[in-house]
Amino acid sequence: MARIELIGLSKSFGAVAAVKDLSLAIEDGEFVVLVGPSGCGKTTTLRMIAGFEDPSSGDIRIDGRSVNDLEPRDRGLGMVFQTHALFPHKTVAQNIEFGLRMKKMPAVERVLRVREVADMVRIAHLLEKMPSQCSGGEAQRVALARTLVTSPSTFLLDEPLSSLDAKLRRELRAECDRLHQALKRTFIYVTHDQEEAMTLADRIIVMRAGEIVQIGSPMEIYSDPVNHFVADFFGSPSMNLIVGEIVQMNGVVRFRSSPFELTLPGHLGSVRIGPATLGIRPEHVGVMTGEGGDFRLAVRLVEPLGRDTLLYFDPGSERAFVAVSKGLNMADVKVGAPMALSLDPQRLYLFGADGKRIGRGPTQLVD
Amino acid sequence: MSVAAISAGAIPLKPSPRERSQQRAIRRFRWSILGPLIALLAFVLMPVLFLQLYFSFHQWTVYLGSWWEAEYVGLDLFQEVLTDPRFGWAVVRSLLFATGSTIGCFLIGFALAYLMHKPFRGQAVYYIIFILPMLTVPVVIAYTAEMLLYQSGPLNDLISRISGYEFKPMWLTNPHIALPTIMLLEIWNWTPFSFIILLAGLSAIPKEPIEAAEILGASKWRVFWEVQLPLLRPVIFLALVLRFLEAMAEFPKTWALLQGGPGTATETLPVYIFLTTWQYFEISKGAVMSYIVMLLMIAIVLFAIRLLRREKRTLDALYGSAAAAPEAPA
Amino acid sequence: MITKSRRRRISASVRYVVLTTWAVVAFFPIYWMIATSFKPDTQWFAWPPVYFPHPPTLSNYLNVWFGAEQYAATQYAISSQKPLISLLNSTVIATASTLLAVLFGSVIAYGVSRYRILSETRMFQLLMLRMIPPIVIVAPLSLYYSALGLLDSMTGLILIYFLTTLPYAVWMTKSFIDEVPREIEQAAEILGATRWRTVFEIVLPLIRSGLVATFLFILILTWSEYLLALIVTKTQVTTLPIELSKYQGTTEGRVYGRQAALAVGITIPLMIVGLVIRRHLARGFSFGMVRR
Repeated sequence: MARIELIGLSKSFGAVAAVKDLSLAIEDGEFVVLVGPSGCGKTTTLRMIAGFEDPSSGDIRIDGRSVNDLEPRDRGLGMVFQTHALFPHKTVAQNIEFGLRMKKMPAVERVLRVREVADMVRIAHLLEKMPSQCSGGEAQRVALARTLVTSPSTFLLDEPLSSLDAKLRRELRAECDRLHQALKRTFIYVTHDQEEAMTLADRIIVMRAGEIVQIGSPMEIYSDPVNHFVADFFGSPSMNLIVGEIVQMNGVVRFRSSPFELTLPGHLGSVRIGPATLGIRPEHVGVMTGEGGDFRLAVRLVEPLGRDTLLYFDPGSERAFVAVSKGLNMADVKVGAPMALSLDPQRLYLFGADGKRIGRGPTQLVD
Repeated sequence: MSVAAISAGAIPLKPSPRERSQQRAIRRFRWSILGPLIALLAFVLMPVLFLQLYFSFHQWTVYLGSWWEAEYVGLDLFQEVLTDPRFGWAVVRSLLFATGSTIGCFLIGFALAYLMHKPFRGQAVYYIIFILPMLTVPVVIAYTAEMLLYQSGPLNDLISRISGYEFKPMWLTNPHIALPTIMLLEIWNWTPFSFIILLAGLSAIPKEPIEAAEILGASKWRVFWEVQLPLLRPVIFLALVLRFLEAMAEFPKTWALLQGGPGTATETLPVYIFLTTWQYFEISKGAVMSYIVMLLMIAIVLFAIRLLRREKRTLDALYGSAAAAPEAPA
Repeated sequence: MITKSRRRRISASVRYVVLTTWAVVAFFPIYWMIATSFKPDTQWFAWPPVYFPHPPTLSNYLNVWFGAEQYAATQYAISSQKPLISLLNSTVIATASTLLAVLFGSVIAYGVSRYRILSETRMFQLLMLRMIPPIVIVAPLSLYYSALGLLDSMTGLILIYFLTTLPYAVWMTKSFIDEVPREIEQAAEILGATRWRTVFEIVLPLIRSGLVATFLFILILTWSEYLLALIVTKTQVTTLPIELSKYQGTTEGRVYGRQAALAVGITIPLMIVGLVIRRHLARGFSFGMVRR
């Protein structure tokens, strides 16, 4: 139906290579999220799929057919922009029916379709208003409706939630999810927000500096990051990354760093000695008052969030060592107090000097 | 507080002492700046307008005596002017000249702006060349035009060579094409003005609604007609209105080049008034004509103000501008 | 379905054809003026026309601008006008009136932008004031000026130029001041700066390039103005445009080369100035109709 393939896609703006030799296949009906920091090439890639940028080299195929030389209007795609991009001089209804008018649908039918779609995104009460009279969230819904109504085979979404506040973002995120379930069409979504990627995607494509770093399901990306960058990027609060080295003492392989030292569990397999970074997610760090644990650190900051409490410890460097404690039990811990921390051995990650994961991955992805 | 936008439905409160002194300071500033200037303007304009009015009702033949001894003639002069066919023709010519050259400037300026609003190689060079005609001095244009449009001159020669026909119209001496000739000169001179304004307007249209339209299936023509043009309305009005008003007042090129000739073929209102006052020395008649033209222009200007204000308001509303604060008392 | 690349190519060719055609139309008269100024007198009226002077000569310039008698063509009357003095007059008058206009204009503009001392309607009325054809007041103006002793004086011309260009000065500087966010001034105020200090240390430097552009633009207007100069000046004072028309008048317009040399001298400085400020022209001409 709508299988999209990117083959060796590259794009350079002058001397700057925004996208480097990118190859990807997106299956029909998938919700794919291109995620990465600003400048990683995700938006450029999306715009090349849409037809607003010409690739410097490479091929874009929809259903096996190369579309490089087709105008955006002939590619059968729909797009939602970061700034709602509504036509300011037309009413909401006129905005929505625009695509249908371009297809020369008769007026009577148009009105019905517009109504249908407006109900679907719950903006029927706004139909006669002007875009400037709509709030940010409403405007984005109208943008969604405008694109929905033309029934494209694939939806392209370019950071559609970036300009909204947190609460609206969650609402509309749910909306996108709902629509995808209902329509079962392909969604290609671009964002820099890892949370959006994790919640919405069937498959996440992590990009950095114009290249794909890792492709996988949210679970895979989270639990089995392929390098330092991916591990750090996903998860909030971010994974704790302690720089140190792997040493061998008396036949035992240990990880040594300034805040602590520990023996590496066997399931990580054989690893080379040398500089390395240890990774452990805050939710896999156990905190106890009193004795015990793998090592002790002093508390730097306590953030009671209600459902969890975040505890920031001082590992002797700028970046704090973070642990998550369920509930508010630890909420009244004093700053400066030393506490016992234990690291879940099943959840340790090791990264080499070049950032790549070393050692074997976790034996199971889920707790 | 005269600058803050007052939200609809707010009950106007009595201003606090701080607000009151602020308002007083603003008022002081306003009058200390505007006061002297308005006084200056009045000092210069009032006597001038009064004199103009005086001469409209008093026949002054210059060599017969000083101006305050001029004879009162009531509305005779007005009658004379309004029944003067030459005056009527001057009005017609001015309107034709202004309308024709404004449309010409607009169409060419728009075409150029549309072709230039997206970057391409060599664009900067074209831009520089395109604005040059506006940077010349009108008198210079007049004399250069004389050299160029001479019947056995370069323009005719070039066109003859390119087209293969012998092309030798008498641009400056044929009364039927003299007016179109100065209209073409005006268009040459002022197209850059429309071009710059329209280019600014086109560039100000946000890129994303256009891309949205494209991906929704609109052809280039549709995008232009449905998205770009409506958003360009204020700018289009501006370009047309300003150019029209200035064209009605055009004097140097017409006078320097043709002095209203051949015969009266290019006698626009400014030229005719000039002739009447400084060559025929019919000061009073000139004064009446000036007054009538002034009233005519004021009417057009008031209409133009209404138009432009309405367009500005639409523009502010479209983009939900926060700067659209309510009107302060004049 | 037209493919992207084909459409691209067609658009590009159409674009280049249209733009180049107009570029030729726009530039040719200017070229002709410059070329003629370097032509020896035998080539002024030649038929077929001479498109490139061979050999080019400086005699026109030397004669017109420096009154070098030995370069005067013998059969033509030597104009005794002194272009260099007119150049001086033009410079003084234009600079003085423009300085005044920009000075007062920017103060008013600041007041309008921050305190709305003039309503939107008044602003448009101010602009439209300038649109009334000057021809309608020149007759009584010359009488009035003569009574005041301002006729044939630089002051008189400076005064009237100041008043007629003030609307432009206000509008243009206002658009530049509008772009300085109020928050910056408020920040300075909280940090203890007085209003004057804020204006001079913060606002003015930020709009410096805009002020320069406004100044130069109005300079162009006053430099090339004709009608008012014609009426107000007689013998003591002449500006360059008047000089040119006098030259034309006394020599019966036949000395094309000389006229062109004079014209080039008048026009080239203007063009250079205009090109320098070209990026600001769009802003100055928008009059609130273009969204920023």
